Amino acid sequence: MKLSRRYSRVNFITSLIILLITGIAYYLLIHFILTEQLDRDLAIEEEEIRAYTKQYKSLPAEANFKDQIVRYHFEPLAFTRMFSDTVYNNLKGHGEEPGRRLITSVVLSGKLVRVEIIKSKVESEDLVRIIFYITLGIIILLLSSLTLINRFILNRLWKPFHVILSQLRVFNISDGREIYQEDTRIDEFVELNTAVTALTRRIRKDYVDLKSFMDTASHEMMTPLAVIHSKLDILLQTGTFTQNQGELLEDIFNGMSRLSRLNQSLLLLAKIENNLIQDKHAISLKKLVMQKSRQFQEILEAEEISVTLNLDEKEVFMSKYLADILLNNLFSNAIRHNIKKGVVIIDLNSQFLSISNTGRTEPLNEDKIFHRFNKDNSSEGMGLGLAISKEICHYYAYRLTYQYQSGQHRFNVFF
Amino acid sequence: MKILIIEDEPSLRESIITYFTGEGNICEAVANHSAAIEKIHLYDYDCILLDLNLPGGDGMTILSELKRINKKDGVLIISARNSLDDKLAGLNVGADDYLVKPFHLSELQARVTAIVRRKNFDGNNFIVFNEIKVNTVSKNVTINGRVLTLTRKEYELLIYFLANKGKVISKTAIAEHLWGDEMDLIDRHDFIYTHIKNLRRKLIESGSLDYIKSMYGVGYKFGDL
Repeated sequence: MKLSRRYSRVNFITSLIILLITGIAYYLLIHFILTEQLDRDLAIEEEEIRAYTKQYKSLPAEANFKDQIVRYHFEPLAFTRMFSDTVYNNLKGHGEEPGRRLITSVVLSGKLVRVEIIKSKVESEDLVRIIFYITLGIIILLLSSLTLINRFILNRLWKPFHVILSQLRVFNISDGREIYQEDTRIDEFVELNTAVTALTRRIRKDYVDLKSFMDTASHEMMTPLAVIHSKLDILLQTGTFTQNQGELLEDIFNGMSRLSRLNQSLLLLAKIENNLIQDKHAISLKKLVMQKSRQFQEILEAEEISVTLNLDEKEVFMSKYLADILLNNLFSNAIRHNIKKGVVIIDLNSQFLSISNTGRTEPLNEDKIFHRFNKDNSSEGMGLGLAISKEICHYYAYRLTYQYQSGQHRFNVFF
Repeated sequence: MKILIIEDEPSLRESIITYFTGEGNICEAVANHSAAIEKIHLYDYDCILLDLNLPGGDGMTILSELKRINKKDGVLIISARNSLDDKLAGLNVGADDYLVKPFHLSELQARVTAIVRRKNFDGNNFIVFNEIKVNTVSKNVTINGRVLTLTRKEYELLIYFLANKGKVISKTAIAEHLWGDEMDLIDRHDFIYTHIKNLRRKLIESGSLDYIKSMYGVGYKFGDL
């Protein structure tokens, strides 16, 4: 639920409850006051009748005006003086009307006379009604303005927040774009903007530092590597070694070879990430795939892996170097993780290139396989091949995906 | 061959000199830009090994200087991958080949030999070693005049051996020469073994002496017995 909606809902309900309570209280209070007033008027009338009776020894004439009626009843029944609400017939032809009645008594010549005085309540009822309408109007006005404020003002107030949020959503660590700040005078958002800007700058700086460290490290490694490499070659020329020493040397050579390739791969990754590979050529992928399958033929034959090619013409604009590496990696992968007498199927059309291979009969972890240095124990590689492939595809806005279906591991490159 | 090594890393320079000296090769080495410029003005070389990252100047300017003074020396760029890719244009500016550091000295030797061969004989030449004669244009191999049929890999292997005759070549160097990037796939050396075994068998069957020797299990040596 949106913060503003949540907030206005609470606001709305609270206002409604409070307004209803005050409305009711107001109504009751006014009603009470007006009734009191009427009762006082009735009491005054009663006093007047008593005074008249005392002075003139007779009852004043029964009156029947628009809003006041006085009646006498000569009944010797006992009763108590009391105020009450009633409905009486208005002579002016308005029909029945609500009224306030006082039943009291006067003593005329030793006889008890019941006096009934009724006063119209119409006016006071009208007053109460008007007050009720006004209150209702206020409630509606208040609630609708609250809703409007929430809808328009709050939306505008929150705009800086949404601006910064949308930018965070598309934040890319590797492009140099600064976070744009919506001008705001609201302290919280000013603080948010400052914090976000500082954070992204720090992240960028750390990222750049880290990257340049990796670049420099792998670059600096190159020279000592080259030295060791050449010294090993020289060492090999120096004399006779025993079989045992030869085995040691071979292990060293293999280790060196791995180290060099690892270093090359890291340098390559750094280069792709830094957008340093600019050359683009039209490349016929069909030709390249066929060339690769020839290149790998020897290994394929040794492993008795059969290759099926379903190739359409497809031209891409890539660096030749990267296209070569991409296909090399995908091919190597399909062969390395294959089984003896396995199958490799390559499909190429205008939408995608897919390479499927038999292998372990369980799907790979799709989240992990494209990570650097991720490899299973049986793999002889360095765990960089797929990471590099992913990076290359990303570089050209292709999509590299993995799926496992009907016992085959399938890597797709969507163009 | 007369070779100029332009390389600032002393250990690497030493190794290259050690590996190349002998077999009728003359090696000279310089460690910086100005010395290199001086050398190329004074002498002619069959091949110049050029490191691009030099103290005192960009190695690329040496290439343009060579072109400016109209020298026909062969040039092989040896450099780290990063500086290289941007400068693959170097091949258009007059370099004959490039090699990425780190490299095997045997690979360097093979490349240099190939450059010198192309330079000196306008691409029309024979490599002769005792009874073995290779026509590098038609890729024909004859032993005492008898034609020997080799696969592409066996032919490449033979050329590689001939360029590094008398040297022990490690199996990794051979593997990387024959398979290049794909080597990522095969750390097993049985592929090399198969090719070498076949080449050796074919050579002997055609009447050649057995020049290929396995050395301490780590590599092979091709050369006079």
